[in-house]
Amino acid sequence: MQQETIEVSALRKRFGATVALDGMSFTVRPGQVTGFVGPNGAGKSTTMRVVLSLDAPDEGRALVGGRPYASLPRPLSHVGSLLDAGALQPSRSARNHLMWLAHSQGLGARRVDEVIAQAGLTGVARRRAGGYSLGMRQRLGIAAAMLGDPPVLMFDEPFNGMDPEGIVWMRKFLRGLAGEGRTILVSSHLMSELQDAADHLVVVGRGKVIADTSVDELRAAASGDRVTLRTTAGPAAMAVLERAGAAVIAHDGDTLTLSGLAAGQVVTALNDGGVPFSEVSAHRATLEEAYMELTRDAVEYRAVGR
Amino acid sequence: MSAGTTTPVRPDDAAGAARFGFLNGFASLLRAEWIKFRSVRGWVIGMIVAVVVMEFMGLFLAQAHVGCQVSGGPAKSGAACVQPMPLGPGGEAVNDQYYFVHQPLGSSGTLTVRLTSLTGWYGGNGGVPAAPSNPLAGLQRGLQPWSKAGIIITDSTKQGSAYAAIMSTGSHGVAMQYNYTSSVAGRPGAVGPASPRWLRLVRSGDAISGYDSADGAHWTLVGAAHLAGLADTVQAGMFATSPQHTQVTQFVGHSQGQISPSLATGVFDHVRLSGGSAGGGGAWTGDNVGSNQPFGPGSTQAETFHQAGGRFTITGSGDIAPVVNGMGSGPTASISQHLIGTFAGLIAVAVVAVMFMTAEYRRGLIRLTLAASPRRWRVLVAKAVVVGAVSFVAGLVAAVIAVPIGAHIDHVNGLYVFQASAATTARVLAGTGLLLAVMAVLALAIGSMVRRSAVAVTAVIVGIVVPYFLGVAQVLPTSASEWLMRVTPAAGFSVQQSLVVYPQVTNSYTTPNGYYPLGPWGGFAVLCGWALVAMAGAVYLLRRRDA
Amino acid sequence: MNMTLAVRRDALHAEWTKLRTVSGPAWLLAGLVAATVGVGAAVDAASRCPAGEVCQVDTAKLTFTGIDLGQAVVAILAVLAFSNEYSNGMIRVTLAAMPRRGLVLAAKAALVTGLVLVAGAVGVLGSLLAGRLMLPGHGYTVARGFTALSLSDGPMLRAAAGSILYLGLIALLSLGVAALVREAAVAIGVVLALLYLFPIIVASVGADPHWQRHLEQIGPMQAGLYIQATTNLHALPLSPWAGLGVLALWSAGALLLGALSLSLRDA
Repeated sequence: MQQETIEVSALRKRFGATVALDGMSFTVRPGQVTGFVGPNGAGKSTTMRVVLSLDAPDEGRALVGGRPYASLPRPLSHVGSLLDAGALQPSRSARNHLMWLAHSQGLGARRVDEVIAQAGLTGVARRRAGGYSLGMRQRLGIAAAMLGDPPVLMFDEPFNGMDPEGIVWMRKFLRGLAGEGRTILVSSHLMSELQDAADHLVVVGRGKVIADTSVDELRAAASGDRVTLRTTAGPAAMAVLERAGAAVIAHDGDTLTLSGLAAGQVVTALNDGGVPFSEVSAHRATLEEAYMELTRDAVEYRAVGR
Repeated sequence: MSAGTTTPVRPDDAAGAARFGFLNGFASLLRAEWIKFRSVRGWVIGMIVAVVVMEFMGLFLAQAHVGCQVSGGPAKSGAACVQPMPLGPGGEAVNDQYYFVHQPLGSSGTLTVRLTSLTGWYGGNGGVPAAPSNPLAGLQRGLQPWSKAGIIITDSTKQGSAYAAIMSTGSHGVAMQYNYTSSVAGRPGAVGPASPRWLRLVRSGDAISGYDSADGAHWTLVGAAHLAGLADTVQAGMFATSPQHTQVTQFVGHSQGQISPSLATGVFDHVRLSGGSAGGGGAWTGDNVGSNQPFGPGSTQAETFHQAGGRFTITGSGDIAPVVNGMGSGPTASISQHLIGTFAGLIAVAVVAVMFMTAEYRRGLIRLTLAASPRRWRVLVAKAVVVGAVSFVAGLVAAVIAVPIGAHIDHVNGLYVFQASAATTARVLAGTGLLLAVMAVLALAIGSMVRRSAVAVTAVIVGIVVPYFLGVAQVLPTSASEWLMRVTPAAGFSVQQSLVVYPQVTNSYTTPNGYYPLGPWGGFAVLCGWALVAMAGAVYLLRRRDA
Repeated sequence: MNMTLAVRRDALHAEWTKLRTVSGPAWLLAGLVAATVGVGAAVDAASRCPAGEVCQVDTAKLTFTGIDLGQAVVAILAVLAFSNEYSNGMIRVTLAAMPRRGLVLAAKAALVTGLVLVAGAVGVLGSLLAGRLMLPGHGYTVARGFTALSLSDGPMLRAAAGSILYLGLIALLSLGVAALVREAAVAIGVVLALLYLFPIIVASVGADPHWQRHLEQIGPMQAGLYIQATTNLHALPLSPWAGLGVLALWSAGALLLGALSLSLRDA
């Protein structure tokens, strides 16, 4: 398998008053699944459209295998993509949808039937695609992306509409593709979906990259383990614990959230200081929390009120 | 989408609240649809485009200029080219051209004649006067339907004077006509030596009564006219005149028309005038009234009269009637002419109205809409009310701008603008709004049934614009295109008609000339019928089909 | 093989597969034939020129009257070929597979126009046959000076071939407009307004022959249909081929704007 990268450098784009991309830069490397995460409106889809030359950036450029996408004569043999599973003519059968795509790349019916089998659509491929469920449409979109057997694949929110079984299949499928040495970029607004699929993460918010890191690094970089403490003597506990080297992250009524000390050390310090408490619990950071912390300021549409 | 939910009904006042809740629910549904409409910029722009294209087409494209050049002189245009048309007592433009053999009459008196013959000539060289030596050269024998000879009492021989007349006509029997616009039928049948017509006018102050008789003994009152402000001394006498000969040949694919002047000759005897200045024995004077009238059918130079004993032979050409819009009517315009942009505005409105419905299906918004209001017909009605109201405003605004400015431009350009009463003008202006509103509802309903916006828009345009197009582009013969203007939704355009049909004037009263086959409200009712049927079909399908 | 050539062939192949694998285009093409022949035959059946009358009728225009309605079907076909992709979002799949956007437009234009030309030829020949069967019996004989309803007659051949080309140019005009405005309802509205409104405006400016003549010269439908004229050519505001040329300019302009919009705007 020929190895190709996706390079995105300093992309800027505005839609009217909205800044969609604000200096987006990252590189996606072969042989691993790169998760592309960020809240809604962070610029993930726009970036993917720019990579595919569907949208033109105001500044910056995106290259696939070192070349602009638009210069590729048969682009689907370089990049396979799934942006919107609903983007098809409902009255056309799935097989014919793949057929015109195949013809556009000089490919034939045999390749179409191969990808249909690969996506698990063999029994339903001659039915009109308009009658497909969202999950089936996702599989059809994946079949379309696989048509040119490309070294680079981009999927925008592929887990949307999939049942748990489908999600498991999808994760395995993505890992398999990466195992073949392909470059895989998968976007999602839910870190949990990528938890067991991605090796590397590009976390974005408000049109730029917040973190470009491996999954393990991100987990480690997250502000470590936390301890939750329930006590009626808040100020006394804070004084004691800060002297012992802990940092108080949050203080909400009777509940204190601490970092910098293990749970055992917290209990010792409180006992030594004679501070009463009712509960101490240790808490291991999840990828999800690390992500939430990273993107806290970058959430575009925060729930208001409640 | 909070606006789409219905207000919960309180259980403690179930009956009242149910009713109130229903109305309140519909009001909030209306509000929801209104928010949907105005929040799509393209639809609001579409409605503005409708108004703008209506003004552009109506005021800029549909402009007529009158140009003229007197041999060797500088080219002129506009009002300088046009001699003003005579106006009748009611202010309307009139044709007033006839050969008149008359003498003065006091404030009361009676004129009686026997008409023994009415014959005519027409054709010739398309209105070019024949040689003076032989004025009838090249003409054919024959009367026009409204060739006329009879007796008349008129304020003066000035064109546009108040008058009352009773006459025998080419093919409409005896008629009493007065002040140009009024015509009352009398004894039917043609006049000839074997069936002469006795005619009588009786003046008493402002009142003039017309009688006819077959034998001069038994008289029948045909009609009575009150000519306000009639002078004490008026002119009374015999006249003959004949409107232009119009021949329109209709083919599928085109029509061809020919206009030529015509003459009518009436032979009178038993002339008795009482109340004349000389007691009925005065001399009769012949006058070719209005012979310089520029828009008449053209002089054949054959107009004259002979008197031999008590027998008068009078030949005249022209007409005493209101000017109508049609072939040979000269540079005229109606107040509706500048609403021609309604077609373009209609297309814009139809596009918006169709999309207002089909956009719901595009990404499944319809499911949310119907979930918020499970009584589906109410959704459709709410949409119809919103798009209809917006279209009404657009049409009204466009018409209120286009009509007065257009009439002013026409006036400056030297066109005669047919006058319309305040009620007619109001009907044309409001009617334009109603027209767009009902057509928008029709488009919405078709969009709901067809769901495919391109097909729906085409159906609306083919149903509304093409029938009119086939008529004006002369693809179909008049009878076929007028039939289409009766039965298709295009009939609704008749609500914009501002011209009046005068049965006593032969004219091609067709859509391209501004006359619709059904009356203003009749045609509009046809359109409303289409809209209702389409809405019923849309409601039926919306309830029956899965969203 | 030359790569560029192969890419062009692939684009045509893909667009052809798209047209072939949904039923809409086939129905619309059948509708085009039916509308053209049906309206033409109905008009033939209704027309009479009684002996002794002088009928200034152009038998070519008469028998090809169905084009007036057939063009609306062509407009739907061509507009949908583009707008459908925008309405369901498939345009992004298309342009990701074929990033050369001008090529996509060209392939669509070539195929849709080709299909319209074929169906248009069937419709025009059917109309001609209908005219040939009916019109001489209704008084429109060559002996009375009417144009022969035969392709061996030069002007009639030009009228027939020109009517087919006319439909092809309407397809190109519609495609260009659809690429420009994207939304199907708006595109079809714009195309049909361009076609049908000019004659209505012309009829409403009856008092001004000069202005009227100008409008007749620039209206895409009126100018384009001069190609059907076989009699009184000197009285036309434009010669038949010049008239068709005016329509070709409209089509070229629309395609150019459509291509520009397609390549400059985000998909």
